[in-house]
Amino acid sequence: MADSNAPKPSSSVKLVLLGEAAVGKSSLVLRFVNNDFQENKEPTIGAAFLTQKCNLPSRTIKFEIWDTAGQERFASLAPMYYRNAQAALVVYDLTKPTSLVKARHWVAELQRQASPGIVIALVGNKLDLTNDGEPGRGDGDSEGVEGEDSGDARKVSTEEAKSYAEEENLLFFETSAKTGYNVTDVFTAIANAIPETSLKSTRGPGASNAVSRGGEEQRVNLNGPREAAKEGCAC
Amino acid sequence: MLRESDIDAPSLPALLPYCLPTQSQTHALFHLALPPSLSKNGLVTLRTLRTGFRYELTPTLPSYIVDDGLQRAGIMFNISSFVQKAQSAAQQLIDPMQGLNLTNSDRNPSKASLFQSQFRLPSSQTPLFEIPAELTIPPSNVTHGGKDHDRGWHYAGRLHLSESYICFSTTTSSFAHTASTSTSSAFAGQTHGAGPSGNGFTFPLSAIRRVERLNSQNFQFSLAITTWNGIAQDQAKDKAALKERKDFREQRITIQLAGSRQACERFCDGLKKGLRGAVGNVGKLKRIIAECYSEYLLRPEEKKNAASPDAGLGVIFKYPGDPKKLRDRAKMRLWAEYLRDNGRNATLIRQPTFHKLIRVGLPNRLRGEMWELTSGSFYLRLENPTLYTDTLDKFLGQESLAIDEIEKDLNRSLPEYPGFQSQDGINRLRRVLTAYSWINPDVGYCQAMNIVVAALLIYMSEAQAFFILSAICDRLAPGYYSSTMYGTLLDQKVFESLVEKTMPILWEHLVKSDVQLSVVSLPWFLSLYINSMPLVFAFRVLDVFFVEGPKVLFQVGLAILRINGEELLDAADDGAFISVLKSYFSRLDESAHPKSENPKLRAINRFQELMVVAFKEFSAITHGTIQDLRLKNKDAVLNNIENFAKRTAIRNLGPDSKVLSPEELVSLYDRFYGVLYERQQRDHIIQEEQRRRAKASKTRASEAFTEHHDHGVEKGRVGLGPSTSLMDYDAFREFLASVSKWAISDAPPPSPRRDPSDRNSYFGSFRRSDVNLLSPWGSGPEPADHEFMQRLFRKWDVTNSSSLTLQNVVTGLAQIKGGRDIMGTITYFFELYDDDEDGKVDREGILRVSEALLFLSRRGLEGALSNSNSTTMLNGMTEADSGSLSPPVGGTVNERFLGSVSAFIRRCFEYADPDNLGTRDEAEQMTRPDAPIMSKEDPSIDSGAFAIGDDEDEEDEEDMLAFDSPSSQPNAQAKRLDLDLESVPPAMGKPAENVGRRAVSKAQSEKANVALDPSNPLHITLPTFRMVVLADELLEQFFESSFPTSLHITHGLPNTAGQSSSLTTFSSLNFSRPATLSPSGAQPGLAGAGRGLRGVLDNIVTDASRVAAEVRRRMEEAQRELEKNALPGQRDEDEEDEEDLQGPVKSTGAYGGDAERRSVRSSDRDLLDGADAGAGVTKEADGSSQSLLDTNSEQEGRVDRVNSATQRIVEFES
Repeated sequence: MADSNAPKPSSSVKLVLLGEAAVGKSSLVLRFVNNDFQENKEPTIGAAFLTQKCNLPSRTIKFEIWDTAGQERFASLAPMYYRNAQAALVVYDLTKPTSLVKARHWVAELQRQASPGIVIALVGNKLDLTNDGEPGRGDGDSEGVEGEDSGDARKVSTEEAKSYAEEENLLFFETSAKTGYNVTDVFTAIANAIPETSLKSTRGPGASNAVSRGGEEQRVNLNGPREAAKEGCAC
Repeated sequence: MLRESDIDAPSLPALLPYCLPTQSQTHALFHLALPPSLSKNGLVTLRTLRTGFRYELTPTLPSYIVDDGLQRAGIMFNISSFVQKAQSAAQQLIDPMQGLNLTNSDRNPSKASLFQSQFRLPSSQTPLFEIPAELTIPPSNVTHGGKDHDRGWHYAGRLHLSESYICFSTTTSSFAHTASTSTSSAFAGQTHGAGPSGNGFTFPLSAIRRVERLNSQNFQFSLAITTWNGIAQDQAKDKAALKERKDFREQRITIQLAGSRQACERFCDGLKKGLRGAVGNVGKLKRIIAECYSEYLLRPEEKKNAASPDAGLGVIFKYPGDPKKLRDRAKMRLWAEYLRDNGRNATLIRQPTFHKLIRVGLPNRLRGEMWELTSGSFYLRLENPTLYTDTLDKFLGQESLAIDEIEKDLNRSLPEYPGFQSQDGINRLRRVLTAYSWINPDVGYCQAMNIVVAALLIYMSEAQAFFILSAICDRLAPGYYSSTMYGTLLDQKVFESLVEKTMPILWEHLVKSDVQLSVVSLPWFLSLYINSMPLVFAFRVLDVFFVEGPKVLFQVGLAILRINGEELLDAADDGAFISVLKSYFSRLDESAHPKSENPKLRAINRFQELMVVAFKEFSAITHGTIQDLRLKNKDAVLNNIENFAKRTAIRNLGPDSKVLSPEELVSLYDRFYGVLYERQQRDHIIQEEQRRRAKASKTRASEAFTEHHDHGVEKGRVGLGPSTSLMDYDAFREFLASVSKWAISDAPPPSPRRDPSDRNSYFGSFRRSDVNLLSPWGSGPEPADHEFMQRLFRKWDVTNSSSLTLQNVVTGLAQIKGGRDIMGTITYFFELYDDDEDGKVDREGILRVSEALLFLSRRGLEGALSNSNSTTMLNGMTEADSGSLSPPVGGTVNERFLGSVSAFIRRCFEYADPDNLGTRDEAEQMTRPDAPIMSKEDPSIDSGAFAIGDDEDEEDEEDMLAFDSPSSQPNAQAKRLDLDLESVPPAMGKPAENVGRRAVSKAQSEKANVALDPSNPLHITLPTFRMVVLADELLEQFFESSFPTSLHITHGLPNTAGQSSSLTTFSSLNFSRPATLSPSGAQPGLAGAGRGLRGVLDNIVTDASRVAAEVRRRMEEAQRELEKNALPGQRDEDEEDEEDLQGPVKSTGAYGGDAERRSVRSSDRDLLDGADAGAGVTKEADGSSQSLLDTNSEQEGRVDRVNSATQRIVEFES
């Protein structure tokens, strides 16, 4: 298997993004995978699939990212995508309180319907639209954003979301896909939070097929530029 | 066979002047001629036909038009009212069910819907007549002029006639009622597609200029049809110019009918009728046609400079792809030739070349028009040309959720196309999507529609795109964009099973690798390949898709997998799978055989290869295949969606839902949507029935084709995207009737409704007026309609929207059932009747509350009703049958409850606060706990209303006054209240006190009667209400358990049958009038005595003492006895209980009248007697109690009474 020929064990993790429409799910992924941002991103139809590696000190995690459509009526398709997912990013828009309500619904859904032990991160996106747009860029510390209060467009306070996240035992971040703030940190934190055991056992059929793939490189064309980028998940 | 040359040439120009329109609505002349054997000329002068209808040319034309016009006007009126009805129900142009055929009658879809989808006609069209026929298209004498040897083309097929279309198709499908389903759905044609795939035509009758009966040798019916082809260019009305124009040629085809003489005549009659009806639509047709690019393309020389019609954004921003590479010019030339020979837009005839031309790809500027024609959206537009602009105007400035969603996506729809980087393009997109979301609110807006519409707008005008979107959503991609996207999910399942069937090895590989095919294929279908393939290729797929229907999506999808099969077998997971296909799509323009020696083979690109594989290798995939598989997978898919929706909905219910058990929530959900679904089904059936009836009475012509209406439409089913998730009042009644027996009507047959205007306007506003047609309640019991239910509805309808959401219902029920204590329920009830939320319920309200209590208990009480000694003793008081310590049966309890209600009314009035100090508010009362007592002393307050506290009971009044020291007012007040409550024990097992403190005075009754005087407005407050309720054990139990448990959420009603037999309570109350009171005016009480239940209630109070005077006298004696013994020991207990009661009871008002309090128990009976007396029920003078209590022993008699009561209740309910 992969871990026999590599210095660091490598494993793939299926991650799904959920959240209301136009909160920036695809943009988060685009930032993470291509370190890019598009102002007018076509809405995701069904779901988009992308991959990206994340290097941890002890191992390499390859994210297989399922970026889902956000419109309400696509919700019934979601089980198709979060099936077997080991991690989920539930995204809301810091400037839209209803999106947090929707995010709560998704969390509840995942907790009841997704694989047990799924790692869920609650992510408030569009931090660039608030006054805390750029608080200590590159801080890397997820707790970095404390002085929220009255951002220009902010409608969801950090405390509210954070206390909810703590209650439900979720990872919590506020990000900006536009500036890239905190984006990589989210994925790194998730990578760290995935229990070692689940890496071995999950995605049974997929994992065993890793051999036939002969390494992941062949299809990770998206990785190229990202590998060299400075914000690589070098933790 | 008749040939062109057989027709008498000179007669044509002779007729021409008459045929030319002098006004736009000049009717199409209908020439039918019997073949006079003398003439060799095919065309004979006009003669009467067998019907005796005489058609002359111009001279008699006006009268003909007038007559026919009147007749038509009548018909039109009827039709338009149907249409309105249909549109108000759902403003859809095409019945969305027809595309998917997801009805229960899937296996036998209605002929009409098959007919409509075969010819892509609007849902207004039904197959009226059909007949086997042979079509002859004359040789094109313009382009190939002079080729006499060419006899033209002949096609055998079937001619169909609907209300406003005549269609010919070489596919042999039949839609006659005798035809089998297989022949009706046997779509064949070039690629075995549904839709207008065969050769033939679909002519709007308004596009037909003239029909002539030709003479033929074998005496068969032969019709020559001349169309308005090119009508748009006749605007000049310059006949001379027209004649001169050498290139102009009328489009004239002949059709030989191959049926029996009778069948032919019937068909011709129908056609004649249809043509007459179509006359008025010629102008409409002309307007529509003027917007067609083909007219511009084929414009005559003199109009070379005419402005080109809107052919999409591509005209401004360029069409995608390189025109040279696409060979656009060559294609355009070919099309121009084809259209010249075979008619354009409305008069286009499909010949094999047509299908070939479509396969090679449509030229850019003609693409929009051909899409419109082949998809049938052209006919939708023709039917309602201004719908698009009208819709935009109508909803101008309005907002909706769909619009918010649309706005989010406007900037991200084909953003790479320059047209959508401009405001013009964005605005067009916005308008089309918005307009569609208004006419089809069930769909509203679904992501992917933006991409599809953006693509359409490159090639067509806004209005064209709007109608074609409708055709896509309803017919070509049915259910894809619905709110549950069931169509998408279903077609994914269908696609998967096709892959399994056609490529088993690949399928096995997918299963083994745990790759979910739909994650790849779903976007293909949803966006019709537009954002999967490069645009130029996606449009080629669309070209075929619009002609041949949904199966094209499957064929292309299968071909993609087939072509990439080898690579896909190597792909081991979703990611690899996706990237194989991604790279394939990006290289579609490359050569499919780059290494081939053969240059021709090398020239074939991958896309061409794809098309060949799709339509050759998978030609066996037909419309029928798809329909079958859809049907097979439908239930599983819908169930999945419904389970998901249910799970989600229940989970997302607010915190209120937590007080209900999960089972309760689940069944609540089921009931809620069950009721909505069933109601929609019924509505649909009723509507259909009405249509059918109206139609049957209107037209005799269609008698041969009695329509088969399928009643299995599943509109409203959650899985299909519920068209509503809101419950209106009638649905709410139905819902209540399914969970509680009191909500079931007492009337066995549907009864005429009361005039809504008689009612609270709040409810009048959304009451449907004609519910009585057919049975509006289906098989379920007819729900009652009581004021209480209206109030409940209003209370639950927190948003004041005249409708309830599931959340509203859950919250509402949670408030009643959710483990509330009795105080909560009492408060709830009070608030229900506190109309202006000022903490007061007026006289009117008190009566209404009691009505509600009677209403709720009329089928007996449920829940834990204790039959404590005290109760028994009370009831047994006059009976001496205290032996009935044995648990009294329900009937007895229920009848006692009636007494409790009577007492309730009386007490309410006795303890009510006078209202005449209008300004006195609640707060003031708080500070003046002694108000009632003061009122007695203060003349300004005492307006003759009953005072509380009575001279009779001096000591009690002393007690109260003693508490009245100002320093201890709050405490005193509370305490006194507690005492009040205490002394009329809610707790059981204090018979001594109950019995003991009983004193009734005539004076009181009279006073109470005074309370009914409308000139003395009064009200009770919550604490008073509470006290009065708690004063009666049965009432208390009612609020504590009976009322909450009367709602059987989980199991529903045990048996709804025989409900009326349990109607006991009202048997003693003779309702002379419907009991639902009308709040006639602001003056409470003006409706006054003598009317309805009000009268009864008034009489109860009035006559109570008189009727039962004797009984009372004896009772008083007994009470005095008991009182002496019981009182001393009682106090201590009272003190203890006080503590318990102190909490919930926050007293504000003041209560007095210990004496009264003590007397109420006995007066119950009196009131009851009074009721009987007042209502004039025949009975022995002193045997009334007996008759009530002995019901057990006289079941037979009771049944009789019940029957009569039931009848009276009919009025009550209605």
